[in-house]
Amino acid sequence: MGTWEWPLIVFTVLSQISIGIIFGLLCLDRRNQLKEKLFKQGVLVSGILLIIALLASLFHLGHPEAAYRAITHLGSSWLSREILFFILAFAGWLYLLWLSFHPTGKRQSSLLITSVLGLLGIISSAMIYVLPRVPAWNNVAPVFFFILTAGLLGALALVILGGQELQSEQKKSLLNWSLGCIIVSIFMFVLYTSIIKLNVQGAATVQFLLSSPLFWLRAVLGWLAPLILLLTGLKSQKVFTANTLYLVFALVGIGEILGRALFYVSSVGIHISALF
Amino acid sequence: MTKQLGFLHNSEKCVGCQGCEMACKNEYQTDATPRWRQVFQLREEDYSLPTRMFFSMACNHCANPECLRVCPVKAYTKREDGIVVHDHDRCIGCRLCLMACPYDRPQFNLDKKKVEKCNLCYQRIDKGEKPACVAACIPEALQLVEINDALDQKMGVLKTIPGLPGPDITHPAIRFIGPKQGKQIRRD
Repeated sequence: MGTWEWPLIVFTVLSQISIGIIFGLLCLDRRNQLKEKLFKQGVLVSGILLIIALLASLFHLGHPEAAYRAITHLGSSWLSREILFFILAFAGWLYLLWLSFHPTGKRQSSLLITSVLGLLGIISSAMIYVLPRVPAWNNVAPVFFFILTAGLLGALALVILGGQELQSEQKKSLLNWSLGCIIVSIFMFVLYTSIIKLNVQGAATVQFLLSSPLFWLRAVLGWLAPLILLLTGLKSQKVFTANTLYLVFALVGIGEILGRALFYVSSVGIHISALF
Repeated sequence: MTKQLGFLHNSEKCVGCQGCEMACKNEYQTDATPRWRQVFQLREEDYSLPTRMFFSMACNHCANPECLRVCPVKAYTKREDGIVVHDHDRCIGCRLCLMACPYDRPQFNLDKKKVEKCNLCYQRIDKGEKPACVAACIPEALQLVEINDALDQKMGVLKTIPGLPGPDITHPAIRFIGPKQGKQIRRD
């Protein structure tokens, strides 16, 4: 059974929200709906999250002072690739920060490049865990789940940041996107568990998850409650109050953090089954 | 890589004395917790007849070492003779190799906050000596061998034994000779 990897939980979730926000800004900009104030706010929050995430990742290392060496095995190590892409995404973010104070016409291409670099960073993060030793991870599920976290929390963060800057139609499309991400996440999870339980270690992971109160807390807080809130809100055509949006973001955020924690804790690797 | 050195463990001869573990600790004066080499006892339910059977395992210097693949700092290298060497100075303690190795052989030293493992006493081998564990094994259950087709074709040489992860993941450079099972006599 795995362990509680808090630095990695903080790093992966926050970096994914950060890239999700940048991607959301890009989508708005492509529709010519991105106002200067929202761009500035979005870039600032995204950067703060990325900095906290990168700092948190250092706490996972036994020797954080030597972290710079982690970029030296790009040939086969996904961890090296992850660090490279996130450093490049951070460089992209620095340029976006500069652009937010000195507007030029290059905003959309900069958002696109930073989003692509961030997406490659997220994919690399997930590929680290695609290990033949851990059947529950040795598939495309980590990549899907990590990208879904970015899409879901990034969109919700943008709705909250948007406030008055976003028109109700834009908010609605972002909330529809979030709702879609939650539904896909639930569907993916059901598909994932039914596939991995075909082998011994995968079945142990599923058994651990389904018998863990934390998993059910994650399911209620991160999936069910936001699903009901978003469905009823979007169906009634009423404008979401700020408090409701904060509540949905908090619920989904807690759900994703618990889900990521369980991702690490529930992993069961192939191992020696002998006495020692 | 021109050859692949590895271990041949004879469970018929092994008495589970842990002399190999002690020899390893003496040679490198390692801390108490990390066990570069470890003696295991097979669970009875893993074998068809009740038998006490031991096997000794250190790093298997695999043909496809997952530790080497995932390490972000190139702390692992594979020598021409197949030995997978871990450079303790390069390690940053990310523990990814621990996640990747099916045999749990890279060990995390909580005091030094780095990973360490068996380097197959390559400095002894370079001098023409046996690895410390092999030299210390009184019943000669543990041997240093070259893993090749000729060895695999010998009668009684096994690529794996019950209770071990399948060898397909990393192709470990270890072979086994299983215990001869005695007759089970029942008084009916």
